[in-house]
Amino acid sequence: MNENEIRELFREMRDEPIPADSLARVRAAVDQRIHQRPSASAWKLAAALAMAGCVVAGLLWLKPGKPHRQVTQPEMAQALSPVEIPPPPEVPTRPAPRPKRARARPVVESVPVSIRIETPDPDVVILLVN
Amino acid sequence: MGEIPRERADSFEQVLRQREAQVLRTAFRILGNWADAEDVAQEVFLRLHRHGLDFANDGVTGAWLYRVTVNLCLDRTRSRRPSQELPELPSLARSAESAILIEEKKQRLMSALAMLPTKERAAVVLREIEGLSTAEVAAALSSSEVTVRSQISKALVRLRGILTREDV
Repeated sequence: MNENEIRELFREMRDEPIPADSLARVRAAVDQRIHQRPSASAWKLAAALAMAGCVVAGLLWLKPGKPHRQVTQPEMAQALSPVEIPPPPEVPTRPAPRPKRARARPVVESVPVSIRIETPDPDVVILLVN
Repeated sequence: MGEIPRERADSFEQVLRQREAQVLRTAFRILGNWADAEDVAQEVFLRLHRHGLDFANDGVTGAWLYRVTVNLCLDRTRSRRPSQELPELPSLARSAESAILIEEKKQRLMSALAMLPTKERAAVVLREIEGLSTAEVAAALSSSEVTVRSQISKALVRLRGILTREDV
């Protein structure tokens, strides 16, 4: 087969009919998919919204705390106004230390001592009473 | 969303009727089977519906349809498994009658066409079967005219080679 023959065959193919059932199938499928599209996309939208709702609920459940409050206009203005410097907080004073009381020594009953003998040990004293 | 305006639906229907044969035939010549060609044709017209009919003229609509058809066919052939077997060339010795012989030659040519690289095949289909100009083929394939000429020339050499080998 030479090049001219090939080209001639290609030209003949140009006019070949298309199977009618193929054309009908394409037409029907296109028509069906075009008219199906809105309901399909509505389902997809609903599913996406439900999914988003679940995610938000999950986040709120996982992170309990103050709900995020929207800042109102007056609050915003207040926030932007010059800041008043609050007086410095009073420094807590420590209570004054209590004066140490000398521990009261046990009172030794005064006894009349007749003789007092010192020993080499300074802590030991011999007292002879009466 | 929802309902399509009546005017637009009518004109879409009109374009579908005018161009369905062009789209289906091109897809079939590139892909080699009707089932795949039907899938591609459906997708082409759904894209046309989404795109709308804001084309300057009929020629631009045709060029757009060719480009989308070729791109979808290329995507489809890329996603095919490479292990897919090449079609067998039908034997010449089956019939002696000339009409049947021509049919067989066409079949052999189509089988040989299926062996070409996809871009070369698309270029040949658009230029030789669909009868587009080189510039139109280049636009449809998003390449230059020089590339298209080279692809067609290479493709014809390859086809001759394949068919000659089979004749021997």
